[in-house]
Amino acid sequence: MVGGLAVLAIPSYRIPYDNVVEGVEDLTKSFGVKLYLNTKVMCGERHDEGDDFVKQVVDLRDIAKEYNAVIITTGTWRSRKLGVSGEDAKGVVDALTFLYRLRLAEYGLVKEPWPKVRKVIVVGAGLSAIDAAEEALRLGAEEVYLVYRRTKKEAPAGEYYINDLIAKGIKWIELAAPTKIVVENGFAKAVEFQRMRLGPPDKTGRPAPIPIPGSEFVIEAELVISAVGEVSTPPFTQECAELRQFLDEKGYIVSRGYRLGNTNMFVAGDVLTGPTKLGEACRNGLYAAKDAERFLRGV
Amino acid sequence: MSKAVGNPMLLRWIDYNKCIGCGVCSAVCDFTHNGIPFIKLYDIGGGLIKPISCFHCTKAPCIEVCPTKAMKRDDDGAVYVDESRCIGCLACLYACPYGIPELSTATKTSIKCDLCKQLRGDGLEPACVAMCPTKAIVMGMPQVVFDEAKKRALTRIMKAVMSFGGPV
Repeated sequence: MVGGLAVLAIPSYRIPYDNVVEGVEDLTKSFGVKLYLNTKVMCGERHDEGDDFVKQVVDLRDIAKEYNAVIITTGTWRSRKLGVSGEDAKGVVDALTFLYRLRLAEYGLVKEPWPKVRKVIVVGAGLSAIDAAEEALRLGAEEVYLVYRRTKKEAPAGEYYINDLIAKGIKWIELAAPTKIVVENGFAKAVEFQRMRLGPPDKTGRPAPIPIPGSEFVIEAELVISAVGEVSTPPFTQECAELRQFLDEKGYIVSRGYRLGNTNMFVAGDVLTGPTKLGEACRNGLYAAKDAERFLRGV
Repeated sequence: MSKAVGNPMLLRWIDYNKCIGCGVCSAVCDFTHNGIPFIKLYDIGGGLIKPISCFHCTKAPCIEVCPTKAMKRDDDGAVYVDESRCIGCLACLYACPYGIPELSTATKTSIKCDLCKQLRGDGLEPACVAMCPTKAIVMGMPQVVFDEAKKRALTRIMKAVMSFGGPV
């Protein structure tokens, strides 16, 4: 399936599938774009969400040799971990996987996306978190908790969307962060949280959440969705000797422009910038394409 | 002919119910106008982010106040700036109830959305209309737009009252 997060993660009540298909058809029919599906381009090894659909892996270095120019737009297909014990239990899932399987079910590619659950906890307050929380409500969960370590004011999704979810029946808990997931027989049963208070600004410029010792409390849940951010998934890793110079120590691409050094490779979208909204990724893609076109014309 | 009062052939309407504030409209506008978008998104508070652009008013105050007759309306009804006539006084901005016109530091003239005059000339839709992933930006003959708006509203009402398994 073509369309990235717009098709495979962002809920269809926000972006209807048909709208993206129209665009894809325009590309293939009017512009002669040839699609290679179920193909992962990679130099080095790494597991990303969506890998279950990969039928063949091709080496980025071979592609770069075979084609005059390559534009890399592989997005952010990995989720940050909560970093607490019990995270590997059944019933703990990241927002990307949660949303992704819902979309696959809509397209008839999986039968049952998630078993029916009564109580759901979503950790985080970004756009993935609010989408996951709303989808959990739509799945018929009786109680959906949205838990964030700062306050509504700092929530990346914005106060408006948090308030909208509260009006829809979400239970909003702020100034709390998970300390562990309570596991029973391999299944998540509850999450232990610790209360936070806001301290002086951290390096992101937002007030740092500071744990309050002895303030632990527990919320029961059958499904725990971690929505604490996605990270970029470039088609090469540190193992790729030729291209590792374009990665920082975390494995993210460092590049001054859209072109990778003096190679014939260009980078655009979330894989370059980290998670953004569609518009920013789209703008990036357009300007990268312009640079690639100039490169091909030799100017 | 300044055509302050026009009979627009084309009307553009932003369906804020459908708009998710993704910014694709502004991105493609930026690209097609060399880095200056004429549809822009603003956070009006609390993370509610939506786009705004020229409404191409049927009775356009900007055209009426323009002292050099630089603000014009084309045959499709789009209000645009004739740069060769504009003196950059921004009387248009004072007159505009929506604060749309801006001053270009490059051309020293007022600049604003012209509903992608160039693309329309090639038989294409304005970039924002063509690329909006939610089809929130609707453009067409006025009655077509009015009908679409009502049809969308009716769809919302019917979804709420006619769902299967709902109250009898």
